[in-house]
Amino acid sequence: MNKHLQIRDISTVEGQLTTVQENDLPQQRLDLKFMPWKPYTEEQKQSFACLLDEVNVLNIPVPKSKAEEEDLVNRFLTGMRKLFTTENNFTCLPMLQTSMDNCVQCNSCSSACHLFEMSGENEMYRPNYRSEIFRRIYKQYIKKEPFAKWRYGDLGLNWKTVARLGELAYRCNLCRRCAQTCPIGVDNGLIAREIRKVFSQELGISPKELHEKGTVLQSRAGSSTGMTSQVVKDNVEFIDEDYSEITGIEVHTPFDVKGADILLLHNAGEIIAWPENVAAFSVIFQEAGLSWTLSSKCAGYDGVNYGVFYDDAQLARIALMHMQAAKELGVKKIVIGECGHAHKALTVIADRVIPYELQTPRESCYVTLRDIVMSGRLKLNPARNDFPVTLHDPCNIVRLMGIVSPQREILRKIAPKFREMPCHGVDNYCCGGGSGFAIMSRNNIEEWRGNITGRKKMWQIGEAFKDCLGPETKKYICAPCSNCKGQIRELLAHNDLYEKNSFAYGGLVELIVNCMDNVNPGFIKWGEDE
Amino acid sequence: MTTIFYLLAYFAFAAFFALACCKIRGYLAASPLHVRWEIYPVPHEGKKAAYGGSFMENSDWWTKVRHVEHFYDILGIFKEVLLLEATFKHNHTLWFRTYPFHFGLYMLMGGSIILFFTVLAGLLGASPLWNPQEMEGFVTFIHNVLNSVVLIGALAIFGGGIALICRRMNDEGLAVYSSREHFLNIGVFVLFAFLTLMTWACNADYVILAATFMHNLLTLNFVPQESNLFALSMLLGFFVLLWIPLSNMQHLLLKYFMYHDIRWNDVPTQASVTNQNLIPDLLKKQVTWAAPHIAGDGTPKSWLDVAVNVPNKTEK
Ligand code: SF4
Ligand code: SF4
Repeated sequence: MNKHLQIRDISTVEGQLTTVQENDLPQQRLDLKFMPWKPYTEEQKQSFACLLDEVNVLNIPVPKSKAEEEDLVNRFLTGMRKLFTTENNFTCLPMLQTSMDNCVQCNSCSSACHLFEMSGENEMYRPNYRSEIFRRIYKQYIKKEPFAKWRYGDLGLNWKTVARLGELAYRCNLCRRCAQTCPIGVDNGLIAREIRKVFSQELGISPKELHEKGTVLQSRAGSSTGMTSQVVKDNVEFIDEDYSEITGIEVHTPFDVKGADILLLHNAGEIIAWPENVAAFSVIFQEAGLSWTLSSKCAGYDGVNYGVFYDDAQLARIALMHMQAAKELGVKKIVIGECGHAHKALTVIADRVIPYELQTPRESCYVTLRDIVMSGRLKLNPARNDFPVTLHDPCNIVRLMGIVSPQREILRKIAPKFREMPCHGVDNYCCGGGSGFAIMSRNNIEEWRGNITGRKKMWQIGEAFKDCLGPETKKYICAPCSNCKGQIRELLAHNDLYEKNSFAYGGLVELIVNCMDNVNPGFIKWGEDE
Repeated sequence: MTTIFYLLAYFAFAAFFALACCKIRGYLAASPLHVRWEIYPVPHEGKKAAYGGSFMENSDWWTKVRHVEHFYDILGIFKEVLLLEATFKHNHTLWFRTYPFHFGLYMLMGGSIILFFTVLAGLLGASPLWNPQEMEGFVTFIHNVLNSVVLIGALAIFGGGIALICRRMNDEGLAVYSSREHFLNIGVFVLFAFLTLMTWACNADYVILAATFMHNLLTLNFVPQESNLFALSMLLGFFVLLWIPLSNMQHLLLKYFMYHDIRWNDVPTQASVTNQNLIPDLLKKQVTWAAPHIAGDGTPKSWLDVAVNVPNKTEK
C-alpha cells in the first residue's frame, strides 16, 4: 500500500488506499503502545466500502451494480451543487467558496496538523489532500471551468472516489489548527465539515454515533445518552446524595427554577461517566451563593450538539431546543458546562442561526468560575492542590472562541505547581477525540485514536511533566471538556499511564473543589485511591 | 496593428476591473450573513490579541461596550500582505522563495501606480515624465527611482519565480499539488520579468518607454512602441492582468475578505441590529437537501420549517 499518494490515486487505486503502521509513528517521551489494527472481515469488505485505510467510520454500502455506482456518484454531485447555493448553504457558502478558489497549494498548513505529523507524514493526512480532491471535483464537474482537466489534472470520478472522500472527511478532528496557519485564509477543516454535510444532508450517510444515537436520539429522548428527563433528575439526586457524603457538604442541585439567574447546561455524559464533575459544579455554585438551575426540559439538560460536526439542520434543531429551555425558565444567561463543542455550537454558531428574540445570552463556565474564584466567595486552600497540574485547551473554546485566560487565572490561583504544555492556548493541539470521535470506538476508530489522533496530545502531556515523570509523583491533567476527557481517559488506560506515571485527569471544577477548605480533603482520586 | 495593441490594453484594464468586481460581488452575494467562523487570535481584540483572547472572556459580555480596535486589523493585514508573515512563521523554506517574488510584484505594481499618477500630473501641467528634454525637479527624481524600482522588482520576480518553480518540482510534498496551472502562473510572471529586464537592459531608458506608453494611453494617441521588447512585455502584462482574477491569484482580491469577513468577523448578533434583522429572512430560504431528516419527502420547506419540525420523533 502506498504512503506517497497522488491526488488521482483516490479514483484509480484498487482496494485499500493506504496504511499507517507502527514503524511510521514518531517516538516520544511517554511509552505509547501501538494498537494493532483489526483486519477487515470478508463480510465487512463485501458489504461496506473499506477502501481508504484500516478505519471505517461511515460504513458506506458497496454498490451492487453499475447503476448503483452511478447513482452514488450522481447523488453526491447533486449534493455538491446544493452546497454551492445560498438557499441550501447560506451558513457557510462564503467560507467554502473562498476556500475552493484561493488555495495556492503552498503546504504551509501541513505541519500544523497533528494527524499529518503523527501518522509519519502520510499524504492522506495532509490537510490539503482531501481539500484538493474536493476542489478538483468542484472545478471539473460542478463549476466546469474551461480547460479544468488540463489546468489541474484529470480527476476521474467514480464511486470509489466518492466513498473514499466521504471517509477522508472523517480523518480530521475539525480542530482548524491548519486554518490558523494558512497565509491566505483557506480552511481545510471547514472543507472536511462541508463534505460531511453533503453526505449527511443529501445522501443520508453519517456516523450512527453522531446521528441516530446522537442528534436524533437527543431530539427524541432529550439526551444523546438516552436519558429522559426523569432519569436525569433521579441520577442527579443520587449524585447529590453521594457527594454530600464525600464532600461533607449538603449538596442540592436545583431543577427548573423559574427566574433563576443561570441555566447551567452540562454535557449529560458527565452525569453518567464523571458524576464528580456534576457534583463539583453544584458544590461551587451552591457555596458561591449563585441563583442557578438545571433544566429538565427535553434537551435542556444535555448541552451536547453533535450537529456541529456534520449537519447544519441537526445543529439548528438542537440549538433551538437549548434556547427554548432557557427561555421557558426565563433565566438571565446560559452557563455552558465543561464541554467544548457545546460552547462553540451554542455561543458562536447558533448566534447567527437562531432568531435573536429566541436567544438567551451564553457564557462559558470558565468565565463564571473565574469570577467565583477571584471574588473570594469560596474559601480556598491551594496547598491541597500541591501536585503538578497541566492544562489541556479544548480547540472549540480556545482557538475558536478566544477563551484563553480565565481558566489560567483560576489555575494560577489554586494550583501552585501549574505548568503549561508546549503549544498551549490558541496554538494547542486537539486531544484526538475532536469532531465526534471521542464517542466512537468501532471499526478500528479506537485504535486510530490511540495510534494517531491522540499521539500529539500525549507528546504535549509528556513534555509538560518531563521533570516528574514516573509513578512517584502524582500529576493532574486538567481537561475541562467532556469529550477531551473521554479521549484522554482511554489514552491513559490503554498505555497503563495511570500506574506508570501516576496520572489523574479531570476538569477544572474538581480541582477547585479539591482545594475548598470546607470540603473533605481528597476530592480528586488517583488510581490507587479509587 | 498599433490600434489593436492599444485596444488590448484598454480591454485588459477594463476586464481586470470588471472581473475583480464580479469576484467581490460574487463573494458578497454568496450569503448575506454567514455563521460566525472566527479563529483566534483576532487582532481587533487589542491587548487580548497578544494571547488570542476575546470579548467572550468577560463575564456578562453582552452587557458591556465592545471595544473593537480596527487599527490592529489594518496593521495585521498590512503585516500579512507586505511581509507574508504567516508563510514566514509556518513555511520558512518557501518564504525565502515566495517573498522575493511577491516583493517584486509589489514593486512593479507600486511603480505602475506612481507612473500613472506622475503622467496624469504631467498632463495637468507638471513636468512631463515622458519627455526627457522637459523633465525636471521632483519628476526627474521619480524617474530615477522608477528605473531602479523596475530593475529590482523584475529581478526579484525573476529570481523568486525560478526558485518557486524549482521548489515545486523538487519538493515531494509540493509536487503532488503543483498542477500545470501553477507552473503556468509562475512561468508567465518569470517570462514577463525576463522581458522587462531585457527591455531595461537593451533600451536607453525604460521609464521613458513606459511613461510614453501611459501618456499615449491617456491621450488616445495610438502610435507604435519604440521597443519591440517593451511591446511584447506589455502584451504579456495584459494577459496577466486578465488572468489574475480567473486563477488562484485572485487571492490578491479576496484575501481582505477572507481575513476581515471570515477569520476576524466575531460580531455577536446582540451587537448588530442589521444581523438581527437578517436572520429571520435567511431562515425563509427554501431547503432542498434530500436526506430523509431534512427535505427527503419532497415537500417544500424553509430552514425555519426544518429547525422547528423535528421528524425524529418517528425516525429510527
Ligand atoms: S490551505 Fe492555505 S496553507 Fe494550505 S496549501 Fe492551501 S493556501 Fe497553502
Ligand atoms: S482541522 Fe485539524 S485535524 Fe483537520 S486537517 Fe486541519 S489541522 Fe488536521
